[in-house]
Amino acid sequence: MKILTILRKLGLVLSLAIVVSTVSAGETSTLKIPKAKQNFSAEQACVEPTDVMRRQHGLLLKHYRSDTMRHGVRTLEHSLVACINCHVTADEAGNYPTVHQGSEHFCRSCHTYAAVNIDCFQCHTSQPQESFSADMGPVQSD
Amino acid sequence: MEFWTAFYAISFYVATFILMFGLGYKIFQYAVTPAPLKIPTTPAPLTTGGVVVRLLLEVVIFRSLFRSNKWIWLFAIIFHFALWIVLVRHLRYFMDPVWTLVVLAQPFGKYASFAMLLGLFGLLARRMFVVRINYISVPSDYLMLFLLLVIGISGTLISFVTRTDIVQFKAFMLSVLCFDWSNLQTMPTDTMLLIHLTAVISLMIVFPFSKLLHVPGIFFAPTRNQVDNPREKRHVAPWAVKEFETTPASTTSE
Repeated sequence: MKILTILRKLGLVLSLAIVVSTVSAGETSTLKIPKAKQNFSAEQACVEPTDVMRRQHGLLLKHYRSDTMRHGVRTLEHSLVACINCHVTADEAGNYPTVHQGSEHFCRSCHTYAAVNIDCFQCHTSQPQESFSADMGPVQSD
Repeated sequence: MEFWTAFYAISFYVATFILMFGLGYKIFQYAVTPAPLKIPTTPAPLTTGGVVVRLLLEVVIFRSLFRSNKWIWLFAIIFHFALWIVLVRHLRYFMDPVWTLVVLAQPFGKYASFAMLLGLFGLLARRMFVVRINYISVPSDYLMLFLLLVIGISGTLISFVTRTDIVQFKAFMLSVLCFDWSNLQTMPTDTMLLIHLTAVISLMIVFPFSKLLHVPGIFFAPTRNQVDNPREKRHVAPWAVKEFETTPASTTSE
């Protein structure tokens, strides 16, 4: 029967494709996340435990934003400026990556990987204060 | 290696195997099952091209359901389209780099989950409160809705409330997909994520044994996929000819 032979051929091609893709799969591309400049304290790497930061950093930043913008409460606890200052590090030439180019930017490394768009940097800078304090004079701390 | 990582990696392989080969076998079975009768539901297309259009309309916009029942059609189309968008959004966990289309689908997929739940609750209400539907409903009808609801609710909760480490999860998924066992990444073990994955894996496993086979099945429905040309072209099943037809001299052409 015609349809049988077609199906048989299809099955052969499929199983071949599976074998080829299995062999050529190789290893997973590993994600490189740039290290921060320093630990937050002796016990803790960041302002909250790492598990919390990985899951909740977006919420923390949004919460902080609304506290600051709508209620005028301005602390340094979950400040975006402080995140950027510690997490965005210069390359060997001393240049700082921005969120728009180069995979070495701390935020960009994961957000591109997980296809999550962020709008923080439509207003805020994605580079630490020290990167432009040299030619623009000391940046006012908030 | 952590228990959950190994457990879900193996379950994923088993479920994928059952889904692929189960579905492949059912499609094969549908393809070789004879359709001895010419029974397109009329009015039916007179050409093969017409049949393609008819099937496409049936698959994409559920035309016959639309004609028979508007409110069921509404819930069905909401659920199925939302499911498509959600599925496209989930592709981000299975590829690196992520396709632009999948990146663009992200915000839509996030909110499509609510539409999906709305559709599912509508279909569940139909099954429970429409008396004649309730009368013919069997446990497996509820099981499918239940599994899809668990998937939808847990997924929406992960996305909007409890959160999980999606970067770590993607690393796990990619290492599983690439058969990179020596370098298998650990999986985040948030409760909601475990529930979500368990329901997904269960659905993959029951798929080839359940009513979810309407996905490939619709293409093989004789009432939908046949051309209305019984007079122009005689409809025969080869096995029927072999079994029942002798070739008397009078019917063979000179």
